[in-house]
Amino acid sequence: MAVAQVKRIAISDSPIPWLAPLVALLVVFTIYPLFYNIWLSFHEYFPRKRAIQFVGMQNWQQLWEDTRFWSSLGVTFVYFAVALVFEIVLGMAIALLLDAELPGFGGLRAILSLTLVIPPAIAGMMFLLMEDAQFGVLTYILNSLGLLDKTTPILATSSTALAGVLVAEIWQWTPFMVLIFMAGLRSLPAEPYEAAMIDGASAFQMFRRLTLPMMSKVIAVAVLLRGIDLFRVFDYVFVMTSGGPGTATYTLSLYAWQQTFSFIKWGYGATLSLVSLAIIMVLANIFIRVFKVRW
Amino acid sequence: MHQSRGIRTLRTIAGWLVVGVFFFPIYFWTTVAFRNAKDIFNWPPIFVDFEPTARNFEQVFGISLGFGFGAQEAVTPGGGNFYMAPRLWDSIVIASMSTVLAIVVATLAAYCLSRMHFRGRHEFVNWVLSTRMMPPVAVAVPMFFIFKQFSLLDTYLGVILVHGLMNLPLAVLLMKSFFDDIPSEIDESALLDGASRWTIFRRIVLPMAKGGIAATAVLCFIFSWTEFLFVLTLTQTSIKTVPVVSSTFVTSIGTAWGNMAALGAAAIVPAFIVIMLVQRHLVRGLTMGSLKQ
Repeated sequence: MAVAQVKRIAISDSPIPWLAPLVALLVVFTIYPLFYNIWLSFHEYFPRKRAIQFVGMQNWQQLWEDTRFWSSLGVTFVYFAVALVFEIVLGMAIALLLDAELPGFGGLRAILSLTLVIPPAIAGMMFLLMEDAQFGVLTYILNSLGLLDKTTPILATSSTALAGVLVAEIWQWTPFMVLIFMAGLRSLPAEPYEAAMIDGASAFQMFRRLTLPMMSKVIAVAVLLRGIDLFRVFDYVFVMTSGGPGTATYTLSLYAWQQTFSFIKWGYGATLSLVSLAIIMVLANIFIRVFKVRW
Repeated sequence: MHQSRGIRTLRTIAGWLVVGVFFFPIYFWTTVAFRNAKDIFNWPPIFVDFEPTARNFEQVFGISLGFGFGAQEAVTPGGGNFYMAPRLWDSIVIASMSTVLAIVVATLAAYCLSRMHFRGRHEFVNWVLSTRMMPPVAVAVPMFFIFKQFSLLDTYLGVILVHGLMNLPLAVLLMKSFFDDIPSEIDESALLDGASRWTIFRRIVLPMAKGGIAATAVLCFIFSWTEFLFVLTLTQTSIKTVPVVSSTFVTSIGTAWGNMAALGAAAIVPAFIVIMLVQRHLVRGLTMGSLKQ
């Protein structure tokens, strides 16, 4: 009787007034830009005529022939994959290391969370200074260890520039993984481990057979959220290398932004950002399906 | 697991070393803020033994801090090359107002998504999540044109709107997870007593979710504080936030590293303090409410 009454009241409540402000704002923020970009991708701005004109499929055709687009796509995927692998592996290793009640470990977790609140643009600056060829402290350390030739400027050499940017990225976001994985590790039940100990399982076996499967949901959420951000990376490359030297660190986001604002190719810039959006949407949705991530 | 004392000691040292590596750039950057040029450009780099000076802060903020060992120059507000106090103010205004916007809108929606049953609710939550996937560059360009039309470029209102919108998916999902923690029996018994949804929300649920709202607000504040691309695109000269203005310290005649580090340190310290306040909810926030600690 009481349950039925509650249900009736709940159903008579309309969600519309509660959701209307959110929907209105999200439409402005997502639906409108989406359609505007689609419209713009079939047009181009002509600075001399000071007018936007319809150009048909020209921007989309240009994509296929544009080697800089393909190279930026390649750079983005390499950046995405390398950063993700490093952040997951390092994150898990450090989480396992710190998952213990040892002197000062509570404080260490708090210190790790500091990197997450630094603006990525400023983190980029920090590493720009530390990787400077003349007086950078990271350059100095790598030289002393014999890992780097003094005459090689990290961020101005094609073969090392992307690695130089990735160092900043991995430094800032590995703690993101550590904190999430540690929370996951702490929520694991103790019984399976006790049983495994009795059966004489090794630490590695327990990690593979117990920890990894039980942590799969936690890992999937962390990878999804980090992966989305990695694919649209902009700040680090913008402040550290501006895409250079050559096209060694041009990511898709940076290339789209530059086409729009530096080269005034509004239509082509919109086309590029649509490509970026499409790839993220497809990859993220496949990932959500395969790993059954739910909110 | 029982480990021998030797292993525990090794593990303690390893933990401290690893975190030390992650802390080192923060330490180094902070010291650069207190260095003279000669201590910044030295080779080999100086790790500890430099002459501390407050000049960088004085130049950036136009105030005399009254310590340091070098020659003191009179620095007046607006007189230095890098007078940045107004930019710090811009950052504060934008981050706090956009947080208010996101929290108000998100709290309403999150309560509804947590409590009311309607068709397509699950799809709606997924849609909100999917808006988190928009690449900023795909949003910034259309926003630039619409802002141009409505004269919102280079205004507080424009950046506040965009930052508020940017934080909505996070705020909605995170607040929903906090509301989900509050038993819905409380709402139901109040409904039976004849209270309206709005009364329940305002009088009962909101006060119970105070901690969650505070944690969500802190994260929204930080994401606005650290945001780069939108501010870069949607502002010109009259307002700029700290991350964007920092990148202008790189000039053709060299980079004002000391000044940049001073501004950076001044911008990072408040963020360090607030993040310490929400340590308890940090992982929940970082995973948009998906994982509870």
